[in-house]
Amino acid sequence: MTCTEFERALADIIDDESCRTVEHHQHIETCSSCESLVNDLNAISEEARFLEREAEPSARVWNSIEMALRQEGLIRGRRRVFTIFEQKRHWWRAAWLVPVAATLLVIFGVRYELTAPKEASKNISLAANDVTSDDDQQLLQTVQRRSPAMLASYEDNLRNVNSYIRDAEESAKSNPNDEEAQRILMNAYEQKAMVYEMAVDRSLP
Amino acid sequence: MSAAGKGDLTDAKKSKGNKLTETEAIERAKQGDAEAFETLYTLHKRRVYSLCLRMTANTAAAEDLTQEAFLQLFRKIGTFRGESAFSTWLHRMAVNVVLMQLRKKGLSVVPLEETIETEEETPRKELGAADAKLAGSVDRLQLQRAIDALPPGYKSIFVLHDVEGYEHNEIAEMVGCSIGNSKSQLHKARLKLRELIKTAKAQKASNR
Ligand SMILES: [Zn+2]
Repeated sequence: MTCTEFERALADIIDDESCRTVEHHQHIETCSSCESLVNDLNAISEEARFLEREAEPSARVWNSIEMALRQEGLIRGRRRVFTIFEQKRHWWRAAWLVPVAATLLVIFGVRYELTAPKEASKNISLAANDVTSDDDQQLLQTVQRRSPAMLASYEDNLRNVNSYIRDAEESAKSNPNDEEAQRILMNAYEQKAMVYEMAVDRSLP
Repeated sequence: MSAAGKGDLTDAKKSKGNKLTETEAIERAKQGDAEAFETLYTLHKRRVYSLCLRMTANTAAAEDLTQEAFLQLFRKIGTFRGESAFSTWLHRMAVNVVLMQLRKKGLSVVPLEETIETEEETPRKELGAADAKLAGSVDRLQLQRAIDALPPGYKSIFVLHDVEGYEHNEIAEMVGCSIGNSKSQLHKARLKLRELIKTAKAQKASNR
């Protein structure tokens, strides 16, 4: 058996020793070049099995997944509205939320257990960059139409939550690897979604 | 099935004693529980991300693909029955997402069918007696670099078979080629890797 013949057969016999004929074995034993070829290919294949599987995606990935799941209505039920206060190191950033949340609770008697209807939640968009985006304007118009007395309060809330989001985005941008910063940002988005959700709940006829 | 066997190596089994088991998390995710989704993500993110990273050699692309794979999975979680195959199910989905993306980008995921035997003679080039042997000295970093440098078609088959542990019949189905093609292209991928590692070693030696 020549080296060329051996190499041609190699694809079929390399992983399956039971397919090797006496001739194949004899060739490996007598040809050091083909022997080292077989050893090298086996070493590569062996080593590949132990390649690390520990690479970790950044926090951005889960945040995006969670946001999409919420927007698509796959995550249902109450939001973890106050999780932000569990983060001791950054509690002060959210300090303004205390009066805001309290006001909202008093005014609307927030129905936490209720979920916004699917149709409505589809329209909720987490506009993060604009002080008052088109979505915000649309929301305010709806509030004005359905419960004009609440308009000023919603304007305040949106302004506050938008500035909170801007701060959180800046912080997340300047510390892209800080999971804490990413979580703060996620929470900021959640706060805004909460304002929307309540408006939608409130506005239902 | 070796791929399912490898699934045991994910973090799924390590979760015992933690708050939610995988089975519980699946059931609760079906009800729309945010924590359950996060648990499932946490259990499997490393394996899925590693696969995506290996296939693309690009962290941003790998993250996008990871996100897409999990979203597709979560959208279908209501249809999932039975616990044992969950990681297999998820991983298959991740593979499909990756292959789909590679196809979209115009990168071939199926290596060309046997071409005329021109390159058959090339592996014969010897790089000198000192570098002739690799066996036992393939280090992981070198191997990883060589895999990153493989052409996409070779890469997908090598990663799926040698790294992820899929069988040729599974690969043929996923990638859309014949079993024979999968086998012969895997062999060529390994030959190419050997060549790449040898070259890298020779370069390293000459830089000394
Ligand atoms: Zn020989």
